[in-house]
Amino acid sequence: MSLLGAHTPTAIPGARFMDPVVLARIGNLELVARAVCDGFINGLHKAPYFGASVDFAEHRGYVPGDDIRRMDWRLWARTDRYYIKEYEAETNMNFSVLLDVSKSMDYGSRGITKLDYARMLTACLTNLVHHQRDRVGFVAFDSEIVEHIPPSAKHMDTVLHVLDRLKAGRPGGRMKEPLHKVAEHFGRRGVLVVVSDFYEDPEEVVDAITPLRFRGNDLIVFHVMDPAELEFGFSDAQAFEDLESGEQIPVVPDAMRKEYISLVNAHISALQQRFSEVRVDYTLLNTSQPLDHALYRYLGSREKRMRVR
Amino acid sequence: MGFLAPLFFVALAALAIPVLVHLIQREKKQIQRFPSLMFVQRVPYKSTQRRRIHNWLLLLIRLSALALIVLAFSRPFFTRETPPLPGTGAREVVILLDQSYSIGYGDHWDRARAAANDAINGLAPADRGSLVLFSTGAEISLRSVGGNDRAQLSSAVAAAQTSAGATRYAPALKVAGSILAESPLPRREVVLISDFQRSGWRGEEGARLPAGATVTPVPITGGTEAPNVSVTAVSLTRSTFSNQERVEVTAAVVNRGTRALTNGQLALEIGGRPLESKPLSVEAGASASVVFAPFSVSSNYMRGTVRAGADALAADNAFNFVISPTEPVHVVVVDRGGSGSAGLYLSRALAIGDAPRFEVTVRQADTLSDDDLRRAAVVLVNDVAAPAALGRRLARFVEGGGGLFVALGTRSSWAQDVDLLPATLQGPVDRTRGDAARIGALEYGHPVFEPFRAPRSGDFSAVRVFGYRAVEPAASVQVLARFDGGAPALLERRVGTGRVLLWTSSLDLAASDFPLKPVFLPFIHRVARHLSGYSEPAPWSTVGQVLDASFGAAAVKPGGGVIVMPSGKQVPLDEEGSEVFELAEQGFYELRSRSGDGVAAVVASNVDSTESDLTGMDPKEIVAAARATDDGARPGTAGVPLPPDAQERSQRLWWYLLVLGILVLGADTLISNRLSKS
Repeated sequence: MSLLGAHTPTAIPGARFMDPVVLARIGNLELVARAVCDGFINGLHKAPYFGASVDFAEHRGYVPGDDIRRMDWRLWARTDRYYIKEYEAETNMNFSVLLDVSKSMDYGSRGITKLDYARMLTACLTNLVHHQRDRVGFVAFDSEIVEHIPPSAKHMDTVLHVLDRLKAGRPGGRMKEPLHKVAEHFGRRGVLVVVSDFYEDPEEVVDAITPLRFRGNDLIVFHVMDPAELEFGFSDAQAFEDLESGEQIPVVPDAMRKEYISLVNAHISALQQRFSEVRVDYTLLNTSQPLDHALYRYLGSREKRMRVR
Repeated sequence: MGFLAPLFFVALAALAIPVLVHLIQREKKQIQRFPSLMFVQRVPYKSTQRRRIHNWLLLLIRLSALALIVLAFSRPFFTRETPPLPGTGAREVVILLDQSYSIGYGDHWDRARAAANDAINGLAPADRGSLVLFSTGAEISLRSVGGNDRAQLSSAVAAAQTSAGATRYAPALKVAGSILAESPLPRREVVLISDFQRSGWRGEEGARLPAGATVTPVPITGGTEAPNVSVTAVSLTRSTFSNQERVEVTAAVVNRGTRALTNGQLALEIGGRPLESKPLSVEAGASASVVFAPFSVSSNYMRGTVRAGADALAADNAFNFVISPTEPVHVVVVDRGGSGSAGLYLSRALAIGDAPRFEVTVRQADTLSDDDLRRAAVVLVNDVAAPAALGRRLARFVEGGGGLFVALGTRSSWAQDVDLLPATLQGPVDRTRGDAARIGALEYGHPVFEPFRAPRSGDFSAVRVFGYRAVEPAASVQVLARFDGGAPALLERRVGTGRVLLWTSSLDLAASDFPLKPVFLPFIHRVARHLSGYSEPAPWSTVGQVLDASFGAAAVKPGGGVIVMPSGKQVPLDEEGSEVFELAEQGFYELRSRSGDGVAAVVASNVDSTESDLTGMDPKEIVAAARATDDGARPGTAGVPLPPDAQERSQRLWWYLLVLGILVLGADTLISNRLSKS
């Protein structure tokens, strides 16, 4: 995949790269998040827009009911009209992670499952955001909504606690239903991060996710994949069991590796294509790669967003 | 080249296994869990890959390893040119001459000796000959005598006589086999001269001759048709008439000849004098019994003979026996005296019966004399408080071979320092309240209880015991009976050469109703018999039996004795008198003490009656059994066999094949490991 190649870990100066397997052994998610983010923030210290605080956005006319404390008295002095100062509210933005906890996420060929990886990623992102005084929320879903923590500045610990005891229990169905349902709860603009392995038709995935953007939310999608899923490095002919459905079929990996890899790549390309069309930031994550990629990707997207603005 | 086990080639079918494994190669049973088979299912399923053999080298290695192992197990061997059969050359000839008493029938013995002489005369100067005389056993008369010394063999044949033994072919063949096995001569022969009775052959009995040996049977059969009467057994019935013991003799007579016997005579001789003679007529192949008038048994070791005249086979016409007056078993009952009934029950029980007859003397603890003990074989002590002095005297009595029966009652006591009883006495147990104690577990293997083993042969559980003494059995003591609660009821201990039986209850009506039960009488008789070591003396023995160490041991003083055989030959016994002595002649064996002429014991010896049955058998049966060799090769045709080391060399190929197969398997493991790693 070219996406991964473009963001090799060495591209981030000064960042410490920790093997996800090592991180998984730490167990305490808060510690993991801190270990990853501290080094990462230091590494990105030169980023021009990092740490931007309250910025003035515009004036608007006073209407009865507005807080008179926000009145621009200087402007009133010059123009004899009442204006209200409005500021960019990004430091108080809502940040929510939507994490897929279906059975297929409970797979790992190299000591760490996709779910573990995604949990650490969520913890790191939440930690990062929380340090910027943003409100953090969390949604876990499979075929239904499993956990829902509304965004709040005080919910950091709750999010970490829920993440800690999260298990992949049920097979996932279509993403559309839980995501459409949860989209109704995000009334305020914010940043939404969807973490999943997207074992669904790309069209349906996009259909399920685009409603999340409807209220002006920024949407970042992380596609978590295990190296075994990407490379299909099995050698023995044996029966494969679908974690989601429990179905078993005999497979001769040597005979079908090529076809499989091309199908997976086509799926990833399709997702990439469709997400870019709807202006959703898509990132493929390989669980054998350090977490810093994902964080860099997230901050990079924020940078882009702010540049656009 | 041949194969010892060609059936193993069936295992070559196993060669199909690696091929099938390569072709079929089933999926491994473990299941690979995978997040989603969404993409896997879209790939068209191909199974053709597995039908191709991937690695020809591995397959060939595995097939060759299997083939080598199968080949090894089929035991290939090289056949080499066997040396030519030695049609000429010196012979080792063993002449087996039957000297059992049946060969004395008619002129059989003369014909047998003539046949032996014929065989001897056939010996070439380079040949060697041996003469083996056999009946029950086999005896080498002359061994490996050169052909020039044939006169020695002839004179040995002339000196040979018939014996009183029965025919047994197996020992003779074994002796011949041992002679032939040690012989260096190329040709080995056995000449078997016998009347070939069916009774002399009981299967092959392990009698094998070395490979290549030939057996030439010379049957001595036929002859005149005549009655062949034999007295096979006598029955002695004792009775007492006016205080004198009388015996009635009944003789069983069998005519195994081909003609009926008419106007014969059957005579009974006692002490060498004719006592009675009775007419005898027996049909051919029939039997008869003749009853003689009773006669008085006046002295010990009276010698009796039943004689049936003379016929073609005279040896079995006489039947000897020895009879003595029955010796009563002296029993002393030690009672506490007074009005007790125990002595009464014991005396009455022992007074009944005459096989053996018990002579009972009732004494009290203080009146038991040394003379009583000297005469007694068994002492019964019932509920007596035995003082230490009495205990020591009884201990000496038992150590000297006597039998002691002790019944415990409430008054019984026993000195602590006398180590005689099989258990330590403890307090009495009262069972008058509640259920009375019953006799439970019995040791039916013991001679005392052995007659009660069969069902309905005496019910000991009917005995109710109201009181007994608790005892603590000593070590190495056998408990023969127990009460229902597990407490010992009867215990036995061996002391010296004697025995002590301990009954933990008394034998009167105060403690149990045992004396009133039907089992009481046989129980007391068995106890007395067992303790006295009584056994019925055998009136006669058979030639070939061995006199055991007890023969006359009691009568012969230290210093030894002399056995006088029926032929008058004297054989000294050693001082211990423990030398085994085999009966070889028909008649009466006497045991005399060396010091004087007094006869200490007499044993009657009779010939084996089965030997008088002259029914013949096919000599080929013996020949076939004797020449069968262990490895199944046909005897007599293989010529001189290969020496064992040459045989081993010719069959050693399997060993190399097996090692090669294992090496190939190891190579297969290495190669497949390499392949799987790559």
